[in-house]
Amino acid sequence: MLKIIIPTIMLMPLTWLSKKNMIWINTTTYSLLISLISLSLLNQPSNNSLNFSLMFFSDPLSAPLLVLTTWLLPLMLMASQHHLSKEPLIRKKLYITMLTMLQTFLIMTFTATELISFYILFEATLVPTLIIITRWGNQTERLNAGLYFLFYTLMGSLPLLVALISIQNLTGSLNFLLIQYWNQALPDSWSNIFLWLACMMAFMVKMPLYGLHLWLPKAHVEAPIAGSMVLAAILLKLGGYGMLRITTMLNPQTSFMAYPFLMLSLWGMIMTSSICLRQTDLKSLIAYSSVSHMALVIVAVLIQTPWSYMGATALMIAHGLTSSMLFCLANSNYERTHSRTMILARGLQTLLPLMAAWWLLASLTNLALPPSINLIGELFVVMSSFSWSNITIILMGANITITALYSLYMLITTQRGKYTHHINNIKPSFTRENALMALHMTPLLLLSLNPKIILGFTY
Amino acid sequence: MNPLIFTTILMTVLLGTMIVMMSSHWLMIWIGFEMNLLAIIPILMKKYNPRTMEASTKYFLTQATASMLLMMAIIINLMHSGQWTITKVFNPTASIIMTSALAMKLGLTPFHFWVPEVTQGISLTSGLILLTWQKLAPMSILYQISPSINLNILLTMAVLSILVGGWGGLNQTQLRKIMAYSSIAHMGWMTAVLVYSPTLTMLNMLIYIMMTLTMFMLFIQSSSTTTLSLSHTWNKTPLTTTLILITLLSMGGLPPLSGFMPKWMIIQELTKNSSIILPTLMAIMALLNLYFYMRLTYSTSLTMFPSTNNMKMKWQFETKQITLLPPLIVMSSLLLPLTPMLSILD
Repeated sequence: MLKIIIPTIMLMPLTWLSKKNMIWINTTTYSLLISLISLSLLNQPSNNSLNFSLMFFSDPLSAPLLVLTTWLLPLMLMASQHHLSKEPLIRKKLYITMLTMLQTFLIMTFTATELISFYILFEATLVPTLIIITRWGNQTERLNAGLYFLFYTLMGSLPLLVALISIQNLTGSLNFLLIQYWNQALPDSWSNIFLWLACMMAFMVKMPLYGLHLWLPKAHVEAPIAGSMVLAAILLKLGGYGMLRITTMLNPQTSFMAYPFLMLSLWGMIMTSSICLRQTDLKSLIAYSSVSHMALVIVAVLIQTPWSYMGATALMIAHGLTSSMLFCLANSNYERTHSRTMILARGLQTLLPLMAAWWLLASLTNLALPPSINLIGELFVVMSSFSWSNITIILMGANITITALYSLYMLITTQRGKYTHHINNIKPSFTRENALMALHMTPLLLLSLNPKIILGFTY
Repeated sequence: MNPLIFTTILMTVLLGTMIVMMSSHWLMIWIGFEMNLLAIIPILMKKYNPRTMEASTKYFLTQATASMLLMMAIIINLMHSGQWTITKVFNPTASIIMTSALAMKLGLTPFHFWVPEVTQGISLTSGLILLTWQKLAPMSILYQISPSINLNILLTMAVLSILVGGWGGLNQTQLRKIMAYSSIAHMGWMTAVLVYSPTLTMLNMLIYIMMTLTMFMLFIQSSSTTTLSLSHTWNKTPLTTTLILITLLSMGGLPPLSGFMPKWMIIQELTKNSSIILPTLMAIMALLNLYFYMRLTYSTSLTMFPSTNNMKMKWQFETKQITLLPPLIVMSSLLLPLTPMLSILD
């Protein structure tokens, strides 16, 4: 695992010592190389995990997330080149350093064995993200967004710290690999109910659960493009990953404690999808669609069946790539018109046809068109929730319909129809932008050929 | 002030604290406290103006009252145990009175009212000495009598201090008052774990002193005493803004900075002793502290030119050179990976 972590840390001296015309080239190239190294982790030979050392391991759940994380760093760097082009050199280097620090913490979070180490790194990812959102965002609302982001997450995760320490007192060790085998049923008592709540709330806030999701539209909208990409693609999945890890310890309370959260998620996904239909702000639409997709993941994790775990993992990877791609597309609009309002830039298909192709592909994967992995994820979740309770099919079906509705709404508003007269002088698509979209889309399409690698540890 | 006289007075302050920390006779401890108090008054009043006089008077009155209460507790202890040695105080009355006296000296709630006003009235350097060095002597006495302290009173004072330290600082823009409320909150954290593991109190004290020293030195370097003047540092030394950001986040207790270490260790110790609600409450109330640190970072480092900031150039005579600053900054932000080394303290 050090073969990934040490090169990522060394990306920081690389940025500070590079010359002015080489920083983007250096960092993008080397981060692409690091992502190629991480691909070897996808070779999971058995159902058991690959243990690299006492402190790092990777199993079929964390390997795809790790590959996604390392894949995303070069994409973030490519996406940020335009809006940072006018900044002084030191601030560019600071930005890349923040991204690299975030990347290091994320890699270590996904491979941590000890749960307290996971917690510390989970919290540590907050600091660079906060700095990226607050310092490089574009509107005044970003200050409020940063505060909401930081305090929502911290309020949820401080009880998690106390819960983890009390579990360590009870069981003697928090090494995840050991706890898998030591698992006993939690006795039924009020304090264990609070223990369940303390463990889960941190990840519920991070996912986010419908009632606690207020930070997400703010943070996603106000963040610069790299911040939005990493937030949507990886940081939300930290919540899902944590939930998948910690629910192994929390039986049998989950069978009845999960009901309120299941209700909130099932209702919330319909609510947030419907809100998407009325959004004027493009980034806000994509942010709410993230909440909706993540609500599906919460439902899947709380039901705790093998199929639902497969669906949750596949959905996390698929949504990561799709959402990040949608944010890149929205950003390409923003860089040209400097506005996030959807109706201000319509009919782009006539002006930028290749970008329209990417918009089409992204929207189609967002609405879970077969045979993409988005469909595989959603289908597994819908089937397992149907087996859990027949009535959920109504809500799930309604959600799929509304998702299709707003994805097509977004596509048709921005691409089709007559173009607005004031955008006839926008710059054509850069090769960098097309490369960015291709690099998002290619893994997504290729994975539909062999989805086994993203189906997680219950395959 | 004449350098020779200033050195003498400063040495007396140091000697007073040393006497408190190294004595085994209760009377010597009281003498040490009085020596400390009397010698620090001229230091607090280095600049001679009515505000400083008011601050010094308030400090003198509260500390003298606390010393007298301490004396009474010592005499009651003498009455009941017949000896002057520093051991745990067996008589509960004496123990409670002594705890209250030391709480007054430290600035724990409900005896915290003097801390913001005194800190605000004096210069930054004097404030530095007040909030760091002056806490050592009372804390060392608390450490020595820790087996016999009434848990209820101490925990109540600790939790209330964290609450007051967080809540009181929310409405402040003066940097010295912000540091004062932060000191109240940190004292609360330190005393909460005193009965369970005094070693962690000392750890928290050490890291708190490092972080407060760093903060004050960063303020002294930019000669800023208000949030507004601190927000002008991007103009003079842009690197300082990053350092202020890191140190403030460390004071707020965010991982992966070293300010998280004492909080984590304290929560661990309290949870091991089967109190679960208390550390959860304490941790959540520490978020209030984080809020006003974040507000400081917003105006200082996270919104820079071009932004909606009053961009006035500040007049400065010469760049102050503070040699101790870089190692302090490194220590107050990067110590977290050394946490496993704490096992040497057992």
